[in-house]
Parts: sequence; C-alpha cells; structure tokens
Amino acid sequence: MFYLFESDFLGLIPETFLLLGLSTLLGYGVWYEKGRESEMTSHQLWVGGLCLAFTFILLCESPLMNMILCFNTLIIDGMSAYLKALILLSTLCIFGLSFSYLQQERIKAFEYVILLLLATLSLMLMVSSYDFISLYLAIEFQSLGLYVLAALKRDNEYSTEAGLKYFVLGAFSSGFYLFGASLIYGLTGTTNFEDLGILFTGVGPTDLFTQGSVVVGLLFLSVAFLFKISAAPFHMWSPDVYEGAPTVITAFFSVAPKLALFGVLIRVFYLGFFDFLFSWQQIFFFCSLASMVFGSFGALAQVKIKRLLAFSSIGHVGYMLIGLATGSLQGLQGIFLYLLIYLVMTINAFSVVLSLRTHEGEPRFLLDLKNLNLKSPILALTFSLTLFSMAGIPPLAGFLSKFYLFFAALDASLYSLAILGVLSSVISCFYYISIIKLMYFHKAEEVQLKPLVGIDGQKGFLLGITFFGILFIFLYPSPFFLLSHAAALSIS
Amino acid sequence: MSLIHSLHVSFVVFLLGLVGIYLNRKNIILVLMSIELMLLGINLNLLSFSVSLDDLLGQIFALFILTVAAAESAIGLAILVIYFRLRGTIDIEFIRLMKG
Repeated sequence: MFYLFESDFLGLIPETFLLLGLSTLLGYGVWYEKGRESEMTSHQLWVGGLCLAFTFILLCESPLMNMILCFNTLIIDGMSAYLKALILLSTLCIFGLSFSYLQQERIKAFEYVILLLLATLSLMLMVSSYDFISLYLAIEFQSLGLYVLAALKRDNEYSTEAGLKYFVLGAFSSGFYLFGASLIYGLTGTTNFEDLGILFTGVGPTDLFTQGSVVVGLLFLSVAFLFKISAAPFHMWSPDVYEGAPTVITAFFSVAPKLALFGVLIRVFYLGFFDFLFSWQQIFFFCSLASMVFGSFGALAQVKIKRLLAFSSIGHVGYMLIGLATGSLQGLQGIFLYLLIYLVMTINAFSVVLSLRTHEGEPRFLLDLKNLNLKSPILALTFSLTLFSMAGIPPLAGFLSKFYLFFAALDASLYSLAILGVLSSVISCFYYISIIKLMYFHKAEEVQLKPLVGIDGQKGFLLGITFFGILFIFLYPSPFFLLSHAAALSIS
Repeated sequence: MSLIHSLHVSFVVFLLGLVGIYLNRKNIILVLMSIELMLLGINLNLLSFSVSLDDLLGQIFALFILTVAAAESAIGLAILVIYFRLRGTIDIEFIRLMKG
C-alpha cells in the first residue's frame, strides 16, 4: 500500500511545531484575557519566543540532513538548515527588542506576535522551496504577513503609508516573478528547480534560441528578487518603507527577509540555472555595483536615522551580491558568512537606535544622536564600534566578511567589483564616521541633555551579546567558517 | 488559434497592467486594478502554455495564483481603507509624506 507523504512530515517537524505553536497563541489571544491586551502582548512575546527557541532546537537536532519532500516541492539540505537557523535567531532577537517597544508605543495588538511568527514560518518555507509553485506560495505568504506588519500602527500616517507602498511594490515584484516563472514553464514544461538544472545541463552559448528565450525569463525572475531584497536600481521603496514602519518591524525587514531571499536566489540560480551563469552573472554584477554606489552615496544625503540604516542595508546587499556574481563555492561561503555577521551588526544597530528613546519619544533624526557620549558613554562606544564594523575597519567582524567576499571576487576574476567594493566601503566610512563625530565631538550646547528612558533587560542582553560577537568573531572565526562552508557545500 | 496568438493577448494584458502602474497618476484603486490585470495576463499565459504543452502543472499554478491574488487584493484594500480613514484621500500625489 502506498502511504501519501509517509516520511515527509518527519522532515517538516520544525515548521509543523511552529505552526501549531502559533495557532495555540492565536487561540489564546482570541479567547483569553480580553481587555488586558497590554499584559497579553508581553505574555505572548515570552511564549512566542519559547516557541521559536524550541523550533530552533528541533531544527538543529533534526537527524534528517538531506531530503526532498512533498512531491519535489520542498527540500532540506545544509543551506536550508543554516538559513533557517539564522532566520529563527533573527526573529528571536526581534522579539527581545519588542518587549519595551510595544509598551512604549502602546501597541496593544496580540496579532503582532502571531504575524511575526507566521512571517518566520513563511521565510523558513521559502528557504526550503524547490519548485516555482511552492516558492510563489511561500513568497506570497511572507508578503501578506509583512504588509500588515508594516502598517501595524493603524493610527499613524507614516506607518500606513509605508504599508501601502510596500504592498504596491511587493505585488508588482510578485507579478514580475510570476511572469518569469510562466515563461520558463512554457519553455521547459517543468517548474522544478532540479529538473530545470538537469534539463539545461550542457546548454551552452551554442544553442542561441534556448539561451535567448530562457534569459528573458531569468531577467524577469532576477528583477523580482532584486526588488524584494532592495538591490540598487530597484531600491527606491526601501527607505520609505523602513522609515515609516515601526522600528522593530524595520529591524525585522532589514534582516529576516534578506536571509531567506538570498537563500532563494542561490537555490534558483545555482541549482536551476547554473548553466546560464554568464547571462545572469552580468545582471548581478551590474546590480551589485549599483547597490554599492547608491548605498554609499545615498546615505551621505540622509538626515534621518532609519533612512540611513536603510541605505546602509542597500550597500550591504550590494556586497552580498558580489558573492552571488562570482558563481563559485567561495562566493557562496562569503555570502553565508556575511549574512551571519550582517545579522549580528544590524540587530546591534537597531537595539542601539531603540535604546536612544527619550521621554519625548523615539529619535528620528541623526541630530538626536548628538552628544550621546555625555548621556550614555557605553551606548556611544557600542554604537561607534558597530558603525566601524559596518564600515569594515579591520579588527572587527564586518571586516572579516567583506575581506572574504572581496577575495572570492578576486578569485573569480571580478576585479572591478572587488576594487569598487573597497572604494565604496571607504565612502561609507565617511558617513559612519560623521555619526561618530556627532556622538563624541559635537560642541556641547547650553541646552540641557534629555535623559534616555533606560534599557530593559532583554535589550541589554541583545546589545551585550551582539557587541561581543562584533568584537570577537574576528579572533576565533573558525566555527563560523565551518558552518558557512557546510552550507555552501550542500549547493555545489 | 495557435499558441502565439493567445500569448500575444496575455503579453498585451500583462504589459497594460505594468504600464498602468507607472503611468497612472490618479488614485490607488487604479494601481490595485492594474496589479490584478497583470496577474490576469500571467494566468492566461500559464493556461495557454499548459494547453499547448498538454501538461496540468500550469493550470494548477493558475489556480493558486487566482486564490492568492484574491487574498492579496483583500489585504491591499484593507490597508487602503485605514489609509483613507487617516488622510481622507487616496490620491497618488499625496502619498509622499516621506520623501521619495
């Protein structure tokens, strides 16, 4: 007798657990504790965090390392395990940041936790999808959750506008994705990545018809993904959305979807279309160049903190696209390492930004950072070292990741990318250092300093642990090298 | 009617949706409609490929797109409603609270 999906659910245990956990939380939110919403969000955050932690343990302890599930629509391999672990960690960090934020902003919506958990689940599915259909469903699942999260503050004009913009551009890029996928389906009759990879084996530049028509589909696909990771010519939505969305959600946007989308990009282009390397390499080459340049020059003109962080993340995406453009194992390893360190740096930067709150509200402008040294010397030191790390100054973590990617680019003879990468990180140093100047060397004025609200335990813990990572990953990087190498090996 | 004919139709519908998003300067409802038009063109594309390849996968894909598009436009309209409640307008010209 043929059992349908006999062992598939064994491979999906982490996802199933997360789904059941968040359904329980949803039921709890609907039926229990009506009228005590503000306490309830805190309880839900704790339980949701616990749920994520157990999912993380289930994921790490899973005995199934390589498996193709559900009629070739999902896959588990080293890369999916690595990226899923990072996604879970990033959501856990966002939960840690949310405790005080939700209370300070008086967001009394238990949906917050559930939507974040749903988004995490969809990102995990995205990383393991192995087929255009399942990938589309996972991407839409993620987008639908994130649109609502961006517009979470229903009574705030900025937040709703961010939600609206995110919705329009997200739907637009999904349309591009679908068009590309439909063209490729029409040409090949399959939507499975592995089948595509096998089908295209050896289709070189000799077969001009196949080459030309597949490349049109690939162009649409890559434009869709580049929209979603906010790489340069398609980045115009991201500063607006990042500025308007609530700050914890901005932190989530700038980390978790990028982790998953890089996984998807690698899966599609390295598994499905690797034989068209020389066609798509040019797309990513151009976008990487443009992102680095726009990221560093655009950030120079910013006066608001969150917009600056948005441009900084565009620049980081540009560096990661270098690794994608190399088409080599080393480049992939560089991306995985960069994603890990980017996660640590971004969480640290956003926890500092969230800790800068005064009694008058959230800081919005860069000028609010002025004289931070006098208000809170430790916070100023942490933020300045994080900024140095983002700029890639040697003894810090950010240097390690950039160094590795640039060497991968040199090995793949992408000299111009490596040189431009170094130059643009020099330019980015300028605006990072100008923030440090604001914090330390701004002439103290007569006006009295507004005291900070204070940092709660969860945020303090996150600040400490990420700062530790930024300082010391460089001294003992071998576990991270090994992890990212294992993830990269599963693709080749 | 050959595959090429139906592909012409679906490509034109897709491009109309695409151009509609860019050229439209009136209000956001039109943007939502253009997005639906894009998805419609893609569906037609998938269906004609599916018929010409004699393969069911494209039709399954089209069904999924239909359902997801419905959910997506529901969320889009919900966001539009809360936006209208706050600002009192859905004119594209006024959606520039933040620069850009």
